[in-house]
Amino acid sequence: MSVFPSGEMAVKVFGRLFTVLLEDDDFAAKARQEGMSVRLLHTKPDCELLVTPEGVRAGGEQAGPAAITLRMSCDTAHALWMGQLMVPVAIATGRLRIRGKVARVLELVPMLRPAFDRYPEIAAAAGIGA
Amino acid sequence: MNTALSESVSEAALNFDVLPNGVEQFREAAREFARNVVKPRVQDLDQKPAAHFDWDLVGRGHRIGLTRAAIPKEYGGLGVGMLGVATALEEVAAVCPGTALVFGATLLGQAPVLLSGDPRLQARFLPLFSGDEPVLACNAVTEEDAGCDLIVPAQAEHARNVTTARRDGDDYVLTGRKRFITNAKVAAFASVFANMEGSPGATGLTSFIVPLDLPGVVRGPVADKMGYRACLGSELEFHDVRVPAEYLVGAEGEGMAINMAQSNMARAAVAGISTGVARSALEQAIIWCGERVQGGRHLKDQQFTAAKLAGMAARVDAARMLYLRAADKVDNELPPPVYEPAAAKLFADRTAIDVAETALSLLGARGYLRSYGVEKMMRDALGTRIYEGTPEVLALAITDSLYAERDEW
Repeated sequence: MSVFPSGEMAVKVFGRLFTVLLEDDDFAAKARQEGMSVRLLHTKPDCELLVTPEGVRAGGEQAGPAAITLRMSCDTAHALWMGQLMVPVAIATGRLRIRGKVARVLELVPMLRPAFDRYPEIAAAAGIGA
Repeated sequence: MNTALSESVSEAALNFDVLPNGVEQFREAAREFARNVVKPRVQDLDQKPAAHFDWDLVGRGHRIGLTRAAIPKEYGGLGVGMLGVATALEEVAAVCPGTALVFGATLLGQAPVLLSGDPRLQARFLPLFSGDEPVLACNAVTEEDAGCDLIVPAQAEHARNVTTARRDGDDYVLTGRKRFITNAKVAAFASVFANMEGSPGATGLTSFIVPLDLPGVVRGPVADKMGYRACLGSELEFHDVRVPAEYLVGAEGEGMAINMAQSNMARAAVAGISTGVARSALEQAIIWCGERVQGGRHLKDQQFTAAKLAGMAARVDAARMLYLRAADKVDNELPPPVYEPAAAKLFADRTAIDVAETALSLLGARGYLRSYGVEKMMRDALGTRIYEGTPEVLALAITDSLYAERDEW
């Protein structure tokens, strides 16, 4: 059973994570500089988000185009942002699958480091356990 | 056709002749390097003693970016991706695949750091490749008793006598001996795969980045090879080598997955090397068959020979198409795909052997002479078939893909 009881809850938690990150001036500036557009395509339960420097939008492709798409289950996303699953391991084992220019993905990964610091608190506040 | 559909088809049209700008420029630079720097030395590189290594040649390749092609620009690399690497290595391999492999093996050694997404590992190791002097890397997988067992997951439990790692405080301690490691003699650091002590076979395989100046690292003698003599293959021994824990890539026991990911990445580039060998053999055959007259006609005008030339040309083109597709997919998917790089390498390796053999045959006695270079292509072609997946290992990877459930994307 997933740590997320519903897709709505996943949208709320992962949406909040990236909203908080975009409120950080450094992160927002880097996101604008890199022209970041990332689709988070989560399964079990289903949850789709588009993250751009302008903000976070829920929804599939109708939310807008994305240069990079990350696909993983909600549990994998939870383990990843909690620091329980390493990015290279998630990629190598296929639990995290990415479409988009790999060179841009490699630039994006270090940018996302603050997410590892912020996520545990955001998840806990929503009642999502470790 | 209605206009809207026509426009959409036009926008979607494939263009097989145009590579992205940065990739094309890099390919041109590699072509010039191969023709102007490598070609004049190629016979020398082939005939010198096994341990001879041409650092000047490597330095000139380094200047055009062959040691850092896949490294992101922010770390001083070219950022041309696997498409850039594969097309450049085809150019270098068309003259000397051994030289191409010096750079290819370096890319392979860099791959775990690239894939790690770990900014500390990346900041520690990747800028080393952007200095004035060339720095090389290597990938240490193969052992005396374990080759395919370390790259085929289903065989991992049967692996024997694999290099071990154990955690000790802030370090891991590595003990064992790797064999047939390209660049081990000349690399600054190695990507090393070791099995966690107590794990059966290679089921605890773990990936480390190991600076080769650490105490306890011993570089063994250089193997005297049949081909690929411009690059050095040797043993690499680890005598209780203490590796800082921060040089671990990923997590303990995840080395097999990381090794497979980097192999899938690299196979597209190795297919480029085989395509380069095949193309070069074809070019020799075209020249010879266009000049040689027998029975009052050029060889090219004799049906039996024409059929051979046509078959060779079609296969070289097909090999190139397969590796371009594979490299493009590698540049746009993580984890790297399994099927396309394996299929590209399987086909290109066989093509290189067959085309070199046919070229050698068409040139007759001249094909058997060192001065024509075709016999070297034959020897080199047989080498490419071994590293980064033998035909047997590639067949397993391809067949697994054929039977795998289609993952939803």
